[in-house]
Amino acid sequence: MTDLSFTARTKRIRLSNGITVLLLSNPSNPTISMSGYLKAGAYFNPSDNDALSTLTASMLNKGTKKRTKLEIAESLDSTGARLGISANTFTVSLSALSLTRDLPLIVSTMAEELREPVFPADELEKLKQRIIASIKEDQDETRVRAYERMTQLVYPVGNPFYCHPAETVIEQVERTTTDHLREFYASHYGPESVVLTFVGDLNPDEVIAMVDQQLGDWTGPAARQIALDETPLTTASDRDYVSMKDKANCDVVIGHASRLRRTNPDYLAAIIANRALGQSTLSSRLGLKVRDEMGLTYGINSSFSESGIGDGPFTISVTVSPDNIDLAIDTTLEIVRDYIANGIREDELRDEQSSFAGSYKIGLATNSGMANQIVNAELYGFGVEYIDELPSQIAALDKAAIDEAIRKYFHPEVATTVIAGTF
Amino acid sequence: MNQSFQKITEYDGITEYRLLSNDMKVLLVPRRAAPVAAFMVVYRVGSRNEAVGHTGATHLLEHMLFKGTPSYNRQNGTQIAAVLQRQGAVFNADTWFDRTRYYEMLPSDQIELAIHLEADRMRNSFIADEDRQSEMTVVRNELERGENDPSRILDERLWSLAFREHPYHHPTIGWRSDVEGIPTSRLKDFYDIYYHPNNATAILVGDFDDEAALELIARHFEPIPRSAHPIPPMYTVEPVQEGEIRFILRRAGQLGIVEMGWHIPESAHTDSAALAVLDHILSAGVTSRLYQALVETQLAVSAGAQAFQFIDPGLFTIDITLHPGIEHAEAEKVALQLIETLKQDEASESELQKAKNIILTQMIFLRDSPFGVISVIGEAEAVTDWKLFVDWPRMIERVTAADVKRVVNTYFTEDNRTVGYFIPKNEEEF
Repeated sequence: MTDLSFTARTKRIRLSNGITVLLLSNPSNPTISMSGYLKAGAYFNPSDNDALSTLTASMLNKGTKKRTKLEIAESLDSTGARLGISANTFTVSLSALSLTRDLPLIVSTMAEELREPVFPADELEKLKQRIIASIKEDQDETRVRAYERMTQLVYPVGNPFYCHPAETVIEQVERTTTDHLREFYASHYGPESVVLTFVGDLNPDEVIAMVDQQLGDWTGPAARQIALDETPLTTASDRDYVSMKDKANCDVVIGHASRLRRTNPDYLAAIIANRALGQSTLSSRLGLKVRDEMGLTYGINSSFSESGIGDGPFTISVTVSPDNIDLAIDTTLEIVRDYIANGIREDELRDEQSSFAGSYKIGLATNSGMANQIVNAELYGFGVEYIDELPSQIAALDKAAIDEAIRKYFHPEVATTVIAGTF
Repeated sequence: MNQSFQKITEYDGITEYRLLSNDMKVLLVPRRAAPVAAFMVVYRVGSRNEAVGHTGATHLLEHMLFKGTPSYNRQNGTQIAAVLQRQGAVFNADTWFDRTRYYEMLPSDQIELAIHLEADRMRNSFIADEDRQSEMTVVRNELERGENDPSRILDERLWSLAFREHPYHHPTIGWRSDVEGIPTSRLKDFYDIYYHPNNATAILVGDFDDEAALELIARHFEPIPRSAHPIPPMYTVEPVQEGEIRFILRRAGQLGIVEMGWHIPESAHTDSAALAVLDHILSAGVTSRLYQALVETQLAVSAGAQAFQFIDPGLFTIDITLHPGIEHAEAEKVALQLIETLKQDEASESELQKAKNIILTQMIFLRDSPFGVISVIGEAEAVTDWKLFVDWPRMIERVTAADVKRVVNTYFTEDNRTVGYFIPKNEEEF
């Protein structure tokens, strides 16, 4: 019988310069999804310029030694293929979607952008102006303002989860030069930390040969290590307001340092704990009370969405009319306190385990879903077999494990609440 | 072949059936790539079927259909969302001008749950007054969230001015006082008028066997009778616009916006494919005309275009978010100049082919996921017919540069145009 596990079906190879390539053939549709990364994200920014990693990654497709920005865009657009390179907190993510026949174009264009960017000064000027305008635009959003302010109260300046005030970032963008970009590129862009995953209608050996030909002789700086101290909880709760004009809706963000990373041994218990508390507006505890029963909000969610390489915040977000701010916050915190005191119910745990199993299957039903899982297994050092093992690990969790995670990771008593809107 | 159905047609791997007992249209689209399936019921009712006093009723009713039935309810621990969540389903519902759709994507061994649930709430939903009261405030918060966004309000105003008589005049979420004031009895009336199998199409995409799927659909939908009354048609026609309409919206915000709209024909019209190609020539990617003329030149932060396809004639819109310090009139002039150029000169063959390729590859990409497939089939079914999903690539292929030039000349006239400016208020103006 054919072994249908990811472990059996995924081919993993390391090129001599350190690039890791993972491949999985899924010939159901003549397309290929690529997902990957290299370690050159915001974590590596110098302390005086938090925009550098973003500007560097965004400039890679603005001109290379071979072609101008327009020539590159023209060749991709004319096939309908998509290639994206963008900076995150720790990594620069590489993503693509193309018809199988266009994969050579995707791989050669990505290699060209990664290896031969020229950072044209006029393009940097245009990019800077556009980024500054979009920062200003974001400042008009209550959700953005509330989240930013929360991180400023929870994390120290310099921590990758601390969001600088908009005016600081704008000033940093304004004084960035092409020399800064070239310097950042030279010290952070190299093959050693590159991971590329291809899933779709492909022949693994052909794709490996393609990647090897385009990137196999790339050399660059050694990969930098990430060493981030855990952020402790604050010692007291706090509340702050961001006053904005003409906002019919307020955004409330309640957050605290999570002390949770993807590699924590109780990560899965924490994720299940959060699912029951607030992952779904329609069916989790918070949504059932604050939305469904009380009608106070269109959306309420809790999340460990920044728990990956680093320990980003645990957040609860709720949108609410100005009249209902206090009622929504008090009710939310009461639900969390009750959850900590009494733990998860056995039936809730079973529901969340079954829910996880189903949504995991659905997530793995597309090429991009599979590629993302494989990339994450590689990023956290778990290996592809982890994808096969995860469902049984979830199924093995018991109430004691979840309750321990609840007590360890949810701390309303020291949470910081920020409300953004027109009061 | 299941005796409860009449097989109507089979086209490109999609089979259409009619459920004999009640005339419900059923589409089966087997795709065995992964052990998942998507189920969707599309009702041919949207905000297009509303009038003064009950705008937003279709959307509020959609929310009410999550509040339960005698079989699925909170009291007995089978609340609709919880039951679906338990299976890890991706599920929701949404309302738009022409249709309301309810959908679930879930592991293929759970297909019956989705089918049963949708059949059940088609006629058995509670629609209780106390639920309406708490759900109204949920919807009001949804409306308030939309009001936070200047581009959304500008767009709402544009449609409400471009359409004076036709119900595309009002936003799907409704006017605030209608949302607050509509009585539960009116929602119930709406439910009883439109929620019937003969006003719906059920679509199943994914990993299933046709005969088994038909059996499940018959088991749950067959007992539901067709409506006792004909589904009332919507007959209001928007008269020809006789002259440009201009307006200004001033409130708090960071960046100025220009939005323009021109009336274009209904989705079923032969010009729809050319308008879709035009939309991509104008706005798809860095090499598009709007990007080159407005973003590349630092006049705008972003520029988009969209040819809306609806049952009735809709709009082709262009929206431009201005770079700080740029005058609205300057950006508008550049965009209108682009349009004038397209009236005079045909797009080059390579530009035309590029726009087509982006549309065609997008159609292939979405086949990666059952949800991608079901969404597009559902939208096609809502505005014309599901076969549009299959025919669309061929219709796009056939568009010529002369077609694009012709549609620009036909529809992009000054008298047919509505233009809105969003002007951010300064701090001192408050």
